Amino acid sequence: MRILLSWLRDFVEIEESPRELADALTMAGMAVDAVESEAGETVFEFDITSNRPDAMNHFGMAREVAAIYRRPLRAPSTACAESGPPAASMASVAIQDPDACVRYVGRVFTAVEVRPSPDWMRRRLELCGVRSINNLADLTNYVLLEIGQPTHAFDLDRLAGAAIVVRRARHGERLVTLDGEDRDLTEGHLAICDAERPVALAGVMGGQATEITAETRNVLLEAAWFRPSVIRNAARGFKLFTEASHRFERGADWNAAPRAADRIATLLAQTGPGQVLPGQVDCFPRQPKLSPIRLERAHILRHLGIQVDDAEVEEILSALGFEPSPDTSGWSVPAASHRLDVERGIDLIEEVARIHGFANIPATLPLVGAAPEPTPLAAEDARMRSAVRGLGYDETIGFAFISSDEAERFGPGDPVSLRNPLSQLWDVMRNSAVPTMVRALEWNLRRNQPFVRLAEFGRIYQRSGASYDEPSVLTLGASGTARQASWAEPAREVGFYDIKADIAVLLAPFFPDAPDIVTEGVPPYYRDKHAVGLKSDGEVLAWFGELDPKLARERKIRQPVWVAEIFLDKVYGRGLRRPIHGKLAKVPAVSRDFSLLVPNAVDFASITEAVGEMPDLDSVEPVEVFRGKNVPEGSYSLLLRAWWQRLDESLTDEEVNGFAAELRSRLQSRLGITTRT
Amino acid sequence: MSIERKTGRPIGELIREGEDPEQLYGELRAAFERECSAALTPQQGQALRDRWLGRRSGLLSAINDHWLKAAPRELKPVVGKLQNLLRRDLEAAVKAAAEAAARVQVQAEPDLDTTLPGPERGGGAVHPVRLALEEVLDIFRPLGYSVAEGPEIETFFYNFEALNFPADHPSVDEMDTLFLKDGALLRTHTSPCQIRIMESKSPPLRYVVHGKVYRNDTPDATHSPMFHQLEMFAVDESITFGDLKGTLEHFVRCFFGPQTQARFRPSFFPFTEPSAEVDITCPFCSDGACRICKQTGFIEVLGCGMIDPNVLRNAGLDPERYQGFAAGFGLDRFAMLKYNIDDILLMYQGDARFLRQFR
Repeated sequence: MRILLSWLRDFVEIEESPRELADALTMAGMAVDAVESEAGETVFEFDITSNRPDAMNHFGMAREVAAIYRRPLRAPSTACAESGPPAASMASVAIQDPDACVRYVGRVFTAVEVRPSPDWMRRRLELCGVRSINNLADLTNYVLLEIGQPTHAFDLDRLAGAAIVVRRARHGERLVTLDGEDRDLTEGHLAICDAERPVALAGVMGGQATEITAETRNVLLEAAWFRPSVIRNAARGFKLFTEASHRFERGADWNAAPRAADRIATLLAQTGPGQVLPGQVDCFPRQPKLSPIRLERAHILRHLGIQVDDAEVEEILSALGFEPSPDTSGWSVPAASHRLDVERGIDLIEEVARIHGFANIPATLPLVGAAPEPTPLAAEDARMRSAVRGLGYDETIGFAFISSDEAERFGPGDPVSLRNPLSQLWDVMRNSAVPTMVRALEWNLRRNQPFVRLAEFGRIYQRSGASYDEPSVLTLGASGTARQASWAEPAREVGFYDIKADIAVLLAPFFPDAPDIVTEGVPPYYRDKHAVGLKSDGEVLAWFGELDPKLARERKIRQPVWVAEIFLDKVYGRGLRRPIHGKLAKVPAVSRDFSLLVPNAVDFASITEAVGEMPDLDSVEPVEVFRGKNVPEGSYSLLLRAWWQRLDESLTDEEVNGFAAELRSRLQSRLGITTRT
Repeated sequence: MSIERKTGRPIGELIREGEDPEQLYGELRAAFERECSAALTPQQGQALRDRWLGRRSGLLSAINDHWLKAAPRELKPVVGKLQNLLRRDLEAAVKAAAEAAARVQVQAEPDLDTTLPGPERGGGAVHPVRLALEEVLDIFRPLGYSVAEGPEIETFFYNFEALNFPADHPSVDEMDTLFLKDGALLRTHTSPCQIRIMESKSPPLRYVVHGKVYRNDTPDATHSPMFHQLEMFAVDESITFGDLKGTLEHFVRCFFGPQTQARFRPSFFPFTEPSAEVDITCPFCSDGACRICKQTGFIEVLGCGMIDPNVLRNAGLDPERYQGFAAGFGLDRFAMLKYNIDDILLMYQGDARFLRQFR
């Protein structure tokens, strides 16, 4: 909103520099975005909050200035010479919906002549960013900018029956508004009608049929108060946002309506030509009842932490247009029609505080009221995050929206759809974080990043009966080399076992025993046989493996992409395991290597299972796996190392040889594995 | 005659030719000192040891035979003493020389270029929003605040009505809400969680709520349809606007630096009364002449106020007994200010080049 310094000076003395004034108003809650100098005039650009329609005009802003500096405020002159027959004899006003239209003031001007406005008025309008049209249109705009009351001028001779009827539109009625649009009206719309038809959309825009033209001689001026919700619905319904609807939907002042009508009459009489007929046609069926507001002195201290002098409280409230009457414990303050935002004691306290100055309220610190509650799962989450970071994954955050196509391919069930999505690519809330991760990997691979490891801690969204679940998921993504290639180490492609090892590190703090690996139920967006799940107590903790290469290719990714989903609620739900110290052996362990020829169908898990429990056996580990040359068809070669250990004494060679023979025989008899020589 | 040659001849002969035992030993000692004065390689150290202390052909062994054993009876005590002193000193000197040589070897290893980089070991990045969050939480936790996140899918009641948004007020439009098909919505701010906490816990309350929030905003450098908000609130019997000021002044000093000053400007939010916006003195310039503060010297960073009595009442608290304050801000914006990020969309692309700056 643009406000002119010279126009403010019509209503209040201002000695301060424009910069000082701007700062003072800003610090009182009237934010000045810019102070400009234009054609010798100082123009303030204000950003006025939606609760303060009263300040969206020069007089209202001058009231703020008057309150800040405690200076007298001069109201614009509304004294004008009237002549001719009473206005009421020339036009009638009736309100049929007194809830939607609380007040309708009509004024009648005759013998007008449509012509350009005087220069001073055009100049003010233009500096405020309003195009000058003609003297009558300019008058309504001028008064809107001056005192904030929207008004409308009808060509009285084109109003059927010289009548105004404010009523709900009837089904099938139409109105061509000033912008040339032919609009269908419904019962939901409040219409300004003449004796026959709608002539304006109340509080939003007038109609073409009754607009002021070069031929207009007689004018009916409207100054009314409409219920904000009615205006807002109409403006939103037609997507027709006007200066008038902007004011009305934020709340105008029903007592400003007659003043605005008089002010226009005064200016018309001044700038002419035109005759102002005596009196207003003021239809005000029932004055809205405003409850008086109670302001307790003690509450000022209680909310602000300071006591403001009674005299200052009264000065501030009076300057803002309230009429406080003091009593023993505080004040009784009648609500004011120009400040419908002020309804309660706390609202008055805010007025006192902002004019007294927030800067004048000393800063204090509250006492700690209670011991803070431990954040649920904070330790688990911190542990997981630091492990992910230590493994070299860069933390990313992706949008929680995906497309319904993606939702169908990546997630289970009925996805959570948006009614007003930003785009079709973002029309549902993700039911899997994998598509988000694939997009991030794609972004990097397209930018030739040879080495990408990303991790996202985020939520997925699911229906749960009539409500929703938002489980937390850790998603890992990796593609390219296992580490950044360097002079010291040759580059190696990241693979299944890298991801598997990382997940083992991440889950170790939660599970004393490694969770079971499962191959059933792996989601179809993973490459068949190149992905697995982890389960514990029947719950899936994670899926991980290679993304289906078909899906990768659709995203123009032509290299293997590894993805893991770790369901954090399930993992964190176990809590961090408590580590238990066991005894350390006093003597070193003894190992034996076994060079084995293993049938292809036998996997490593079967081998450890076949070895099973053996006395003093500490561990069995694969040292080398080899397929191909010199290995008989249908088999692979495995170098297996077994470790034996007894806590307190050394094992003899004979004992270990016996263990080794037993191990060989178990592998031979249970799995048909032979020892190579 | 060289000293080597002298060591090969019996001492009796040398004395007859006018030599004197002390002088002979002195010459020998001087020769040794010359030889080990230069820095030696380990090989040279070994050669020195062999030449002087070698068991068979060492010079000390030679004089033991030719000088000590062959000495006339009357000279034996003198020569013996000289011989012992020399042996002791030589052994100590050779040992020291060998140690020095070994030290020299470590320093001069020609194969190690210590300026070559070590191979990458990862150490992943923390997302800048997370980094900012943790910093904020570290400021509020010691002040007694608990931490909560709350659901992102919310109801109209929690997101608007309970927070005193009039159903037909333009401020609901200003929020640019994303709605779900069944009428639920994506929270436009973290404040609904304030209601949930006030409903389920009893004052005194000190809480930080953080998490993702959503707006129907077309993405650009300063707008993102998803971003992160953090708000803190306190409810008690005697919380004042002064307490709000003190808490936030402490906070911005901790986060933006000890010189930072906060300016409280009256503003409007449906859920607070009085409401304020907080501007901080620009941490990036001292003269109000930088791009970030748009030449004003101030940056608007957060909104706050005393919790509106209607909000307390809607959450089941008695506003005659309890009051409180609340403040909220965008974590993305804080991270952008702190880490000089000029485009909010960088936060959500997952670009590793961007993220790795936060390792």
